[in-house]
Amino acid sequence: MEQLANQPPGAGSVLHQICVTVECAHIRTGSFIKPSPYVEISVDQLAARKTETVKNTTEPKWNETFNLSVTLHSKIHFAVLDRNSFRKDTVVGEKILDFYQLLLHSEGRNILDVTLDLFNNKQSDSPVKVGELVCSFKGCHIDVSTNASRRREILGRRSSTNSIAQAQQQSSDTNSHTILNGVRIKPKTQGTENSEPGTSNLTERPSRPAPPVPNPTLQPSPSNNNIPIGNIGPPASVPNGTVLQDEQRQDEPLPPGWEMRFDTYGRRYYVDHNTRSTSWERPQPLPQGWDMRRDPRGRVYYVDHNTRTTTWQRPNLERLQHFQQWQGQRQNVVQQGNQRFLYPQHQEAPGASVPSSVVEEDDGLGPLPAGWERRVQPDGRAYFVNHKNRTTQWEDPRTQGQEIGDIDEIPLPAGWEIRYTDDNKRYFVDHNTKTTTFDDPRPGAPKGPKGAYGVPRAYERSFKWKISQFRFLCQSNALPSHIKIQVSRQTLFEDSFHTIMRLPAYELRRRLYIMFKGEEGLDYGGVSREWFFLVSHEALNPMYCLFEYANKNNYSLQINPASYVNPEHLTYFKFIGRFIAMALYHGRFIYSGFTMPFYKRMLGKKLIMKDIESIDPEFYNSLVWIKENDIDECGLELFFSVDFEVLGQVVHHELKKSGDAERVTEENKEEYLSLMTNWRMTRGIEQQTQAFLDGFNEVVPIEWLKYFDERELELLLCGMQEIDVDDWQRHTIYRHYTRNSKPVVWFWQFVKQSDNEKRARLLQFVTGTCRVPVGGFAELMGSNGPQRFCIEKVGKDSWLPRSHTCFNRLDLPPYKSYDQLVEKLTYAIEETDTFGQE
Amino acid sequence: MAATRRLQKELGDIKNSGLRSFRDIQVDETNILTWQGLIVPDSPPYNKGAFKIEINFPAEYPFKPPKINFKTKIYHPNIDEKGQVCLPIISAENWKPATKTDQVIQALVALVNDPEPEHPLRADLAEEYLKDKKKFTKNAEEYTKKHSEKRPSD
Repeated sequence: MEQLANQPPGAGSVLHQICVTVECAHIRTGSFIKPSPYVEISVDQLAARKTETVKNTTEPKWNETFNLSVTLHSKIHFAVLDRNSFRKDTVVGEKILDFYQLLLHSEGRNILDVTLDLFNNKQSDSPVKVGELVCSFKGCHIDVSTNASRRREILGRRSSTNSIAQAQQQSSDTNSHTILNGVRIKPKTQGTENSEPGTSNLTERPSRPAPPVPNPTLQPSPSNNNIPIGNIGPPASVPNGTVLQDEQRQDEPLPPGWEMRFDTYGRRYYVDHNTRSTSWERPQPLPQGWDMRRDPRGRVYYVDHNTRTTTWQRPNLERLQHFQQWQGQRQNVVQQGNQRFLYPQHQEAPGASVPSSVVEEDDGLGPLPAGWERRVQPDGRAYFVNHKNRTTQWEDPRTQGQEIGDIDEIPLPAGWEIRYTDDNKRYFVDHNTKTTTFDDPRPGAPKGPKGAYGVPRAYERSFKWKISQFRFLCQSNALPSHIKIQVSRQTLFEDSFHTIMRLPAYELRRRLYIMFKGEEGLDYGGVSREWFFLVSHEALNPMYCLFEYANKNNYSLQINPASYVNPEHLTYFKFIGRFIAMALYHGRFIYSGFTMPFYKRMLGKKLIMKDIESIDPEFYNSLVWIKENDIDECGLELFFSVDFEVLGQVVHHELKKSGDAERVTEENKEEYLSLMTNWRMTRGIEQQTQAFLDGFNEVVPIEWLKYFDERELELLLCGMQEIDVDDWQRHTIYRHYTRNSKPVVWFWQFVKQSDNEKRARLLQFVTGTCRVPVGGFAELMGSNGPQRFCIEKVGKDSWLPRSHTCFNRLDLPPYKSYDQLVEKLTYAIEETDTFGQE
Repeated sequence: MAATRRLQKELGDIKNSGLRSFRDIQVDETNILTWQGLIVPDSPPYNKGAFKIEINFPAEYPFKPPKINFKTKIYHPNIDEKGQVCLPIISAENWKPATKTDQVIQALVALVNDPEPEHPLRADLAEEYLKDKKKFTKNAEEYTKKHSEKRPSD
């Protein structure tokens, strides 16, 4: 790619003094109650400066001046907050100003009057404009001449290549403002305060996605440019609620290569000749600094000259906002990484080094998984080889992590016999003395009932023990020497991708030696810890379209069914599979976890209807309604087939053979619900999941995970955080309880007396994740926006506690004593199988 | 199409029922997921005109509720400038797959006739409605005259 000039020059680290005067704001809120606003300014996330608070007004005036030290690269963050004497102050609206962009439009003036559009993205999923902030900047006469000529060049090029759209936009605005990303600069002479702003091409700094891979052997034939348009029909369905907005934008010209047409019903649709696709939605012009290009195979991709990066997906407002949100987390990523921990790694696993049993030749367990082989040592002891990733282990992969009951190879003392109680509990009969006992009489046997691994079952259930089992397998399959992974911070994701996919998978189990180009620093663990955190955060970059948030406000990630817009997506999922396996193998944490259903899928567990609740509560509610009501008389008109929409296309699917012809009735609805559940959890993501699992399995046999349940897997992968119980308690609300109700008091007593693991598990049980939001419990999100941790009185004291992860709600029955509460709660959080779930 | 059969049946039922407050239903054959129609309120100040709405059904209908949009401008506390309307019967919490579109339309007509200023989408209009009903009625009438569609003659 050519050298692009829209970046600040290298000398951008020099500090400049500027004066910013915060004049006034115009706030539009939907509420009767007027805010008490003040402004917070921070440069590059450093110490914030604040104005005074103006009481009860939507038209505050401050006229306060601040001296700020900035570099050319600086981002200046403006936030208007509402002062609240009882609760935490809330953000009314905010805006990040790219100082360099401002200078590019300063036209050499020293004083700039700037109006910033304020956005709020807390209320809903997409930022809403909530007002404007008027400021003046003094000291903007900064010499950017080092690249002034290059700047002219690129501005010139942009207006010639990039669309009439921009030219038009500029010409329509020449009378007053310069528009840049929701920021308007007023020439001194103009003063039309309240004139409605033009389009706000919201974009701060777009993406760093996968560059299209050029393939010189497949040049597009010239005919590709003359698309037979007659074949392109209108899109399949009308996206909701887009039409009105379209009409408001009707006057803007279309981006190059687009055409507006009418279908036979006179409805408007848009043809994109670049990608040969159609859409009901009017395309937004590309944001400033973006360009459409073609790779040698004729595939369209988009270049962001602002950051010199590329993406397959056409950037639009929503995507750029997601990107901004994602990028906003970046500052916290490494810091968060340093706060995560798990138990110290054990050198030797108790019980694991001497498995107590040998599995029989014909063991009735069926064939070994593909790639596995059973071998026998010269001393007769069996072990298992995994040829796929060249690992060996004593344990049978088919039964790993399962309780298979004891296979006792040591004979009992004479006169003893094993029997089982009615509820299948093992006990021992001593015919010599005519007594019975639960304790195994054999020498060396531990007291108490044993699990599959020859240690007391209670201990086996403990997370610590499971980790040590897993670690033991990792250590006994370690390879000598190390691998070097050298990456540049600027191209972290691509560098990591290429290095990791180039190496044979098993080599990724060698000790890692990570180097950031241009940085000295020996990797004794710290660097690779940072690397895992940064790469995992990059993988979630919405511009790659690989993952998406489970729903609007759930932090957990799931595979994006639209990931196929990236033609290489399956290779990327394989990479991420390898990468996640590496994180587990090397005992490192990743930034953000996956959804519980995704972990269950990794563990090969069956997904149940309840699992849908956390990812699509609306859909789940409808399934529950069908399950609970007699459906024969209510005209549902359901058949064994289903549709869903991805990227504007409706995909039809028959749940079973000739499902289109089979009506759902009260009689067969169980089958229908089970098929629907399965389909809902896998739709559009099967190939990607498989690619991920393949990648994972190449590095670490997936069977090794089977000690864990899905909740433990999340803890293992993301680590734990110190949980601030006071903050938790402060931001908890109660329903049908008060903070002084006995069960509530006991609950907090229990939390305070628990260790971090138990706290994390309790939190996970109620909220679906063990992670606390960056801003603490005050920022806990539910599926419909902010949702405090809630304890509700439900049921009788014989019930187990239940949870509703999408509402962060714990249904806590009115227990009679502290001990009862502890027993029930502990049981609920440690048991994953459908307990505590409706 | 999974949603199609259900919607065809509902559409037939609605057309046969001859609703007086919802007329001129238009659905094109290639895309049954979008309906258009005319809301004809009978309470003042909206009984001087008619209002075009669009109903969009998601591909996952009836597992997910439809969305309603006003295509005609209306001066109403529960309908915003973009034509969006907040109707409890089709909200995420209340939606049931057995809810029929004619129930949705009846709820909508009832809301148009009887605004609910306690749950406003337009706070300014709700305030006016509560504090100065006369002024609100006058404004709404003028607005209706200026922007609304013609009422069907029969």
